[in-house]
Amino acid sequence: MTSAHLQPQARRDDEVEAFGASDGLPALSPGRLVDAVIAAAPECLQQGILLQGIDWARVPPGRVNAMLGDLGSRNVRLPGWLARALVVGGHVLPADAAGRLSAELQALNQLNGCSGSADERRMLASVHRRLCLLEERDADVLAAAVARLHALGWAEEEAELGLVCWDAAPRVLTSAAAALTAHRLTLPAARIRLAGFSTTHTLAQDLGPAFAACGWQAQVGEAGFGDGLAELLAPAGDADCLVLLMDIEGFAARDWRRLPDEGLELVRERADLLAAALAAYPERAQCPLLINTIPSAPAPTAGLLDRQHALGLRRAIDIVNQRVLEAAARSGQVHVCDADLALAHVPLARQTDPKMWFYGRLAYSAAATRALARSFAQAWQTLKRGPLKVLALDFDNTLWGGIYGDDGLEALACGTDFPGNAFSAFQQECLRLKGQGMLLAGLSKNDPDAISVFERHPGMVLRAEDFTAVAIDWEPKPGNIRRLAAELDLGLESFLFLDDSPHEREAMRQMCPAVTVPEMPADPALRPLWIRGLTATWPLRLTDEDGRRADMYRAERAARSLKEGAASLADYLAALQQRLVVEPVRRETVPRAAQMHQRTNQFNLTTVRLGEAELGAMLDERSGSLALIGRVTDRFGDHGIVIAATARIDGDAAEIATFLMSCRVIGREIETAFLGALLVELEKRGVRRVMGAYVPTPKNGQVRELYPSAGFRQASADAERTIWNWTIGEAEPPRSAFVTVEWGS
Amino acid sequence: MEAPAHANGIEYPQLAAIFEDVFQHTGALTRSTSADDVARWDSLQHIALVRSLEEAFGIQLSMDEMMEIRSVGDIENVLRRHGA
Repeated sequence: MTSAHLQPQARRDDEVEAFGASDGLPALSPGRLVDAVIAAAPECLQQGILLQGIDWARVPPGRVNAMLGDLGSRNVRLPGWLARALVVGGHVLPADAAGRLSAELQALNQLNGCSGSADERRMLASVHRRLCLLEERDADVLAAAVARLHALGWAEEEAELGLVCWDAAPRVLTSAAAALTAHRLTLPAARIRLAGFSTTHTLAQDLGPAFAACGWQAQVGEAGFGDGLAELLAPAGDADCLVLLMDIEGFAARDWRRLPDEGLELVRERADLLAAALAAYPERAQCPLLINTIPSAPAPTAGLLDRQHALGLRRAIDIVNQRVLEAAARSGQVHVCDADLALAHVPLARQTDPKMWFYGRLAYSAAATRALARSFAQAWQTLKRGPLKVLALDFDNTLWGGIYGDDGLEALACGTDFPGNAFSAFQQECLRLKGQGMLLAGLSKNDPDAISVFERHPGMVLRAEDFTAVAIDWEPKPGNIRRLAAELDLGLESFLFLDDSPHEREAMRQMCPAVTVPEMPADPALRPLWIRGLTATWPLRLTDEDGRRADMYRAERAARSLKEGAASLADYLAALQQRLVVEPVRRETVPRAAQMHQRTNQFNLTTVRLGEAELGAMLDERSGSLALIGRVTDRFGDHGIVIAATARIDGDAAEIATFLMSCRVIGREIETAFLGALLVELEKRGVRRVMGAYVPTPKNGQVRELYPSAGFRQASADAERTIWNWTIGEAEPPRSAFVTVEWGS
Repeated sequence: MEAPAHANGIEYPQLAAIFEDVFQHTGALTRSTSADDVARWDSLQHIALVRSLEEAFGIQLSMDEMMEIRSVGDIENVLRRHGA
C-alpha cells in the first residue's frame, strides 16, 4: 500500500497533459521506461513477468487501451490480477474483459466509465446497492469506488459506500470526510458515554463512523482515564448508552513475584469488584451498558497450561469474562459484545500494538479498535431495532436443491446425503430462528401444492405448519410480500427476504425498499453459517414469548377462521372464552413489557418507548408509578403477555402514561377489560381523577376512540394530542362481557 | 532510479496530505518542519501521526522510531529505512 492518499480517477485521453499534477507526483510521461514496459506487456505476460510495480492510476487511458489491443491481437489473455490493477487504477475495461471480473470490480468498472449524468446515477443505483451489500470485500476496490463517487460528485453514494468499507480501508474517512460529515448530520443522535481501563480516545473517534454505518450519529462523551468502575457506580445521567471498553491489562496484569495462587486471587478480587459494579449498574443507570469481553491474549503466560493453571493468562481472562457474562444474564441493561467474534478478522498478533500500549496505554491496535467500534455499534443497532420479525423464504434452490415444478418431488435435494444435507442444514437454521421468535413465511413462485413438499419429501426438516403464512403462486413477489404483511398485521420493515435469485432480490429491493434483502451466497454450502452471521436476525434478549410467537399467531389465525364462521361478532367473542389475567409488572416480566413498548406501533395511545430501566424503576411503589400487564388465553391457546399500561400517580390524580396492546388480540374487547382493571387498581391506590392522552401517529389511528368509547370525557384537543378525563365513582369502570378478568399475584 | 525533484526538498509528497489529515496543517512542509512548527502536533496526535504513517506506507514502526520522529526530515529518514 504505497499510495494511500492518491485517489485514482478515470482519466480521459485529453487529460494526459495534466496527468499526475494534482497529487504532486510527476506524470509517467510516454516514451520512457514505463512506456517501454507497457509496450512489452504481451511478452512480459507470456513469460510470467509481473507488471505490478506500475501505478496504473498514473498511466493515460490511451496507453492502457493500446496495451489491451496489443494483448488481444497477440492472443494473450488479460490475467485477473492485471485486470484488477487496471480497474482499481481508474481504467475502463471493455465488455468482454469485464465479464470475467468479480461483482465488485464490475461495479467499479462501470463507475469508472460513467460521466456523472443524472441518468447514469439512476441506472447505477442498483449497482451501487449491490456494492454496499457484498459479503466478500476487497478494501482497495471499495476505496477506489468511493474515490470515484467523490470525483463524480455523488456525495450520498460516496458516504454510503464509505461507511461500508471504512474499517477495512480507513483512508476513506479522510478522502470522503465531507460527504460523511454531511451524511452523519442527517442521522438520529445517540449520546454515548465512553469509559474504560485504558485510553479510550481512539475508540471515541472510531465510534463515529461505526455508528453512522448503522444509521446513528454518535455523540461521544469520554469519562476520565481508567474510570470504568467509577462510571458504573455513578453513571452520567445524560447518555443514551454507556460503552465500557474492557482490556486485559486492567484486570489480569500480574506481578510475578507473587505466588501463582496469590496472583490469581488478585485477578479474582478485581473481577469481583467489576461484578459488584455491574450488578449495581442497572439500579443506578437510566441507559443500557455495552461491554466487550476480553479477547484471547496474543501470547500465553503458562504455555500449554494457559487455560487451566493459576499462572495462565487465559485462565485469568476467562475468570473476568465469566463475571461479565453472569452480570449480563442477570440484567436486561447489560449487553455483551464478544470480542473474539468482533476481532475474528484481525490476526491475533495484530490485535495489539505494544509500542502504543507503552507510549499511551492504548490496549488495542488501530484495526482492532475499529473492529470493536463496529461491534459496539452493531449491538446498539440490535438494541434499538431488535431482530426482524419475519423470515420470508423462497423455496426452489433456497430451501431445497432443484426446482419442484420442473424436476419433480423425487429429484429435490434435501436430507442427510450430499448435497441435500446443505439444504437440510439451512432449514435447521430457519427452525432455529423460528425458535428465537421469528415468523416463517413462504414466498415461492410455484403451484400452490408446493407446500406439500414439506410433508411428502422425506428429507425436509421444516413442516408446512412451521410457516405462519405462505404466498405460493406465480404473482410477483413484491406484491405477495405486501399481502403477507397485511395478513400478519406487520410492516414491510419487519421482513427479511432470502432468495437465491439475484433478480428476485433486486426486484424486491426496488419495489419494497423497506424489506431487508441481503445478498445470499450462491454456494448453498456457505449459507447455513452465513445466516448465523446476519445481524438482522440476532436476538437481543430472549423472552418466553419469543419461542411461542409463531404458535400464538397460528392460534390467532384459527380464531379468525372461527370469526368468519360465527353468526355474529358476539357469538364469536363468546365462543372464544377469553381470560385476561392482570398483574403488576414484576422483575421477571420487565423484559417483555419493555419489548412491547419498543415493538408496538398500532395499538399504542402515546407511543412512549419505555425501556427496561424505566420500567424497572416503576417496580418500586415509592416511585409513584403503576405498571400493569395482562396475559390472555382463549380456547385456541395462550397468547402470553399482550397488553400493558403504565400510570404516574400524584396524590389523588393519575395520568396514564402508556397504554398499548399487541395487534394479535385486536378487536376482542381485551383493551376495554384491561382499561377497566387499570381504573380499579388506581382507585385502590387512592386515585380519584384519571387523565389519559391520545397522541396520534401515522399508524395508531385505530385507538383514537379508546377513551371516549370507554366513557372518558374530553378535556382538550389539539393537533398533537387529545386529553381525556375520568372521575372515579361517577360511572362504572368499563367491562367486557366476553373477557373474564382475573388478578394475578 | 533518480530521486524526483520536489519543492522544499520533500521526498515523500504524500506527507502533505497526512499532515493535513492529522494536524489540519496546510502550511508549507519542509524537511525541517517539526513539532514546534505544527500547532496540533502534541503527544496525543503523535499517535494518530504514527498510525497514519503505518497505514499509508504499510509498515510497522518501533518504539525507538516513534521517539525519533520529531520533524518531517525524521519521518523521511524512517520511511527510507523501511524501504517505503
